[in-house]
Amino acid sequence: MKGKFIAVVVAAIFSVVLAGSAIAEDINAYMGTSPDNNAKIAKFIKDKTGITVNQTFQSFGEIEARMKAEAPNFNADMVIGCGSSTGFLAKKSGWTIPYVSPAWKGVPDVFLDPQGNWYNIANFSFVLVANKDRLAKAGYKMPESWKELTDPKWKGEILMPSPLSSGTANMMRFSFLALYGDNEGWKFIEALDKNIAYYTRSGNAPTDLVGRGEFTLGITSDENVKKRLDDGYPLLWSIPKEGTGYDGTFAMILKGTKKLDACKKIIDLLGAPEFSELMAAIGYVTPRPAPNALYGKTLPKYIKLDLGKASDDKPKNNDIWKQKLRTDFK
Amino acid sequence: MKKKGVAGYMDSEENEKPMLILKDIHKFYGTNEVLKGVSLEVKRGELVTFVGPSGCGKTTLLRLIGGFTDISSGDIILDGQRINDLPPNLRDTRICFQNYALFPHMTVAENVGYGLKINKWPKGKTAARVRELLEMVELEAFGDRMIDKLSGGQQQRVAFARALSLEPKVLLLDEPLSNLDANLRLVMREEIRKLQERLHITTVFVTHDQFEAMAISDRLVVMKDGRIEQVGSPIDIYEKPANEFIAGFVGYVNFMDGRIVSIEEKTRDAVIATEYGKIGITLQQDDINHGDDVLMVIRPESVNISLDCGGSRQNVLCGSLKTYMYAGSIAKCTVTIGDRTMIIDQYNPRDAQHFKHAEKVEVEIPRSVHLLKKKK
Amino acid sequence: MATAELSLKLQASSGSKIKDFINANLINILAALLFLLLAFFLLYPIIAVLLKSFRGPSGFTLKYYQAFFSKNYYFQSLYNTLLLGVINTVVCLVIGFCLAYMTTRGPWILRKPLKIIALVPLIAPPYLFALSLIILFGRNGLVTRMFDLHWQLYGFGGVVISQTLAFIPLAYMMIESTLMSLNPNLEESAYDMGASEATILRTITIPLLAPGLLKAALLIFVMTIAEFGNAAILGGRTPFLAPDTYTMITGESDFNMGSVLSVVLIAPCILIFFIHNYLLEGKTFTTIGGKPVASEPRKITPLIKVPFVIITTVAAGAIFICFAVVFAASFYKILGVTNKFILTNYLDFTSNQAIYNSIRVSFVAAVIGAIIGVLLAYVIVRGKFFGRTFIEMVSLSGFALPGTVLGIGYLLAFSAPPLKLTGGIMILALNCVFRFLAVGVEAGISKLHQIHIEIEEASADLGASFLTTFSRIVLPIMFPAFIAGFIYTFMTAIVSLSAVVFLVSPGFELAAVKIFDAAVYGEIGIASATTMKLVLIVMICMMILNYISNKTRLGSGIAKKPA
Repeated sequence: MKGKFIAVVVAAIFSVVLAGSAIAEDINAYMGTSPDNNAKIAKFIKDKTGITVNQTFQSFGEIEARMKAEAPNFNADMVIGCGSSTGFLAKKSGWTIPYVSPAWKGVPDVFLDPQGNWYNIANFSFVLVANKDRLAKAGYKMPESWKELTDPKWKGEILMPSPLSSGTANMMRFSFLALYGDNEGWKFIEALDKNIAYYTRSGNAPTDLVGRGEFTLGITSDENVKKRLDDGYPLLWSIPKEGTGYDGTFAMILKGTKKLDACKKIIDLLGAPEFSELMAAIGYVTPRPAPNALYGKTLPKYIKLDLGKASDDKPKNNDIWKQKLRTDFK
Repeated sequence: MKKKGVAGYMDSEENEKPMLILKDIHKFYGTNEVLKGVSLEVKRGELVTFVGPSGCGKTTLLRLIGGFTDISSGDIILDGQRINDLPPNLRDTRICFQNYALFPHMTVAENVGYGLKINKWPKGKTAARVRELLEMVELEAFGDRMIDKLSGGQQQRVAFARALSLEPKVLLLDEPLSNLDANLRLVMREEIRKLQERLHITTVFVTHDQFEAMAISDRLVVMKDGRIEQVGSPIDIYEKPANEFIAGFVGYVNFMDGRIVSIEEKTRDAVIATEYGKIGITLQQDDINHGDDVLMVIRPESVNISLDCGGSRQNVLCGSLKTYMYAGSIAKCTVTIGDRTMIIDQYNPRDAQHFKHAEKVEVEIPRSVHLLKKKK
Repeated sequence: MATAELSLKLQASSGSKIKDFINANLINILAALLFLLLAFFLLYPIIAVLLKSFRGPSGFTLKYYQAFFSKNYYFQSLYNTLLLGVINTVVCLVIGFCLAYMTTRGPWILRKPLKIIALVPLIAPPYLFALSLIILFGRNGLVTRMFDLHWQLYGFGGVVISQTLAFIPLAYMMIESTLMSLNPNLEESAYDMGASEATILRTITIPLLAPGLLKAALLIFVMTIAEFGNAAILGGRTPFLAPDTYTMITGESDFNMGSVLSVVLIAPCILIFFIHNYLLEGKTFTTIGGKPVASEPRKITPLIKVPFVIITTVAAGAIFICFAVVFAASFYKILGVTNKFILTNYLDFTSNQAIYNSIRVSFVAAVIGAIIGVLLAYVIVRGKFFGRTFIEMVSLSGFALPGTVLGIGYLLAFSAPPLKLTGGIMILALNCVFRFLAVGVEAGISKLHQIHIEIEEASADLGASFLTTFSRIVLPIMFPAFIAGFIYTFMTAIVSLSAVVFLVSPGFELAAVKIFDAAVYGEIGIASATTMKLVLIVMICMMILNYISNKTRLGSGIAKKPA
């Protein structure tokens, strides 16, 4: 019977399709760096430990949202790369399995939680990028301070990520608030908003869109700038004279994992000097000193920050942001 | 469309000119030739039927006349005007489709009045005309009904009334009765014929039903494989088919081979030699000569059948009765003569009980039998 | 002894009674099971969203709704969304109608190519157009630079254009099928009565197609307000509900507010669904079945022809160009910036993995969806139990539900034990099954209406049990409906984004999500190459399916005869 034959074939394919899972040792991880960098980190882990890391690309903000939604039944074994706010939140909510890694000995305190709830595998900052061609065509110079960005001549030419979805944007916001104080800070953000073309979903998106010449200026995560320069994008970048903020790229083990040993192995590996070298080569500032691809030897000027407070203030600031900036549409 | 004055119709010379002329019409679909050179003249007020097995091209021909399909070559002339390139809305022909194609979102009256409205008739005049048409098809009480509230026969009448609303020069009917049940078909075909004769409207009728075609038409056009096989009155087609296909198409037929062995020139009496003996006939055709091989076309009802196979009279063949099916006014008999089987209809079968048990019967071939000349 | 025997007998008879009961009520039992499935995988997630929108930290509250209606940025978002929906629906209907008219009434040689162009976008993710519009008409797009133009693609206009292009196939498909179902003799009759092309359109074609057009309009409206890819990529500062909902959940993880936005998004959809059911009640015109022949080309008057040809050419051209651009972009790192021809975009391992996952999910969804669809159609048509129409309504409601809502609903309903389904293939597949169920069910229902119940009764009369009748008679007859449900579910599942984007988990990325991320992130080369690979694979799958369904036409041919 033809019908029977088809039924058997369909059933066979069906069962193969459903069963197609890997046998080798692997873990699931939420990873919030760029897709390229996620892949680099995953490959590094695979090469050094043999563990396959299954990952999806999500922004820091999305990872935090997802963890809130899933807690305490996470669909991942660990997080490799989320914002500091997520790290503090996870520690406070008891979402992590603390593990004090011997491999992280000698790393400065800012890069790790004493109880081993989180590890900061790399610091990143935000920078100002500009498209050379568009700048030249308009006859403008690269701005030297953040304040200059509020000049009406940039109207519709500046991109930055949205703090509703991007951890990088959250960092920008708390950095500006720390730099200018709450009152003046919000005034600056509002003034800047007049010139912003739109807010992107991901913290790296401005680098790309400015690089492709869609817009002239972008306030963007520094993590992808080096790569895009290497790709040949006509980009200029700088840190304006007020300095920049920073945030960590946190890693942690999530409650409920059945692969604790593999997770520990990975945490250990992330504390190794070779890993710092890998991240520094991308452009991150790392727990163990290594030559930095973007900044070279001199590290940028940092705005003084309290990451814990920034994490606590986030919901409140989101509310203010929405009320101030999202109500004036045409 | 400008209408010819009534006087024009009365003019006798005008009257003799054919209403519709088809000149060597060919139609290709891609490389597939579905009409292979069709020529025909349709007289004023005549009802001509295209009949043939499905796929013979009869519906395509009708659509060509209606303007729904382009012709590949040839000419269509309507009332003296070449209409090859006119779209349907500018041709003075109206079609009734097999499925009636009534507009389901309109009432009966709106359907019938559609063409009048399109042609910008004034409202009052339209209403009067619609009433007149509905009366004509005996649906005057149904004007406000929706189409799906009508029976099949009623829908058929509405379609007919709609097609007649603008008094077309030629009415095209595409299998109009095929969706009706058997009894209604008989009634409707009589009604259509009556109306057509009353209105004296030139009509082209398409059907695959040969009996319907014979019953309703002035002339039949028998088609096969995109060609016209024969044109003629129903009697001609039935009694004098041009070939075996037509003979078989318009009713059951028994064939018998033979050769003309003698012809009496004066009386046209002839003798045909067959393997069962000699048959004497009176020749109806002029093109049959001495020595020709012929095929006798023997209709089942033209044969006399009687009991007992006694002496050897002329034209009487002996056979054995295989089946005898009595059906009141008629009895169907199967008779084998030699190795040939003949179907014979016996009308008014009074002595049926004798036939029921009979074995030997005699069969009398009529002298008026039609002959087909065999190709040499 | 006697009593023991008696009780044994009783037992035996009660055993066979149960069997008889099951046999007699099999269809009701089946219906109950199916209803449970619907309730669990379709109603429950929606109710979960509804409840979430009312449940604050301390019980029932209206404060989230209060927030929605008191803050005008949400209002702005709602207004934009509805406006986009209306504009899109009208434009898509007009273009879809012109295209469908040309492919069913136009010259023979144009019909096939136009149809292919009109349908091809179906197998690509809808936001492909956002991608190609940026490459062409972005502020630094190829065309923008070539003519030194100054226009604003990022905003309402850009979203309308990309969204329109994305939904032309849907409009075309629905309108074409209604045009095909219209007996060509009706228009020919009007033509014959002296009506011009325009008059035929006005008095016959459009009034008769009205139910079909209305249905198409409603579906396009619902799909368009729920699709968020284009709005997220091209929206700029213009807020729309669907991407707002997405950000609310994934960015701010505010499930309460996200649920409120979902409910607001559902409201017009549900409303439309009821209007649709109410308006179409008994409004379908039945005509005596003619031969299902394609309409012959007509001599179309220039008055109609010119605008139709212009609209058709522009639409078909735009679709073609968009595909060509994405195809070209797939061979460059970034088309227009680093113009070096490369092939590495196609070798990207993660996208291959994602495509593989997409095919797995879509296949599983299609098999389950087609089976459930056929069974549902059967109990809806043949069952005689109370609540039949309710089941029918629920199973057809999937099409009226925005994907984002069902995505959030699944996340809320199935992310905690004992119903933890998140983090695997099944939740993705089930989500697709119940979202796209309507087509399979509708196909099944119309197939069943074509067969007389006498065939089944004849089989039962010959002593066949319900199961035998069902598997030997009903299933073969419904096979075409099964195939239709399978193909539709497979195709929509593989390119759909709006629901699954909430449900993908690490290690199980889907192609549609991958392309969206790559596009948002700026990896245009990878996004384009993945799209092309996806399109190619879907096309191959479709060809195989077509082959199989053609091979099995036999079964359906036999089934049709007695009808």
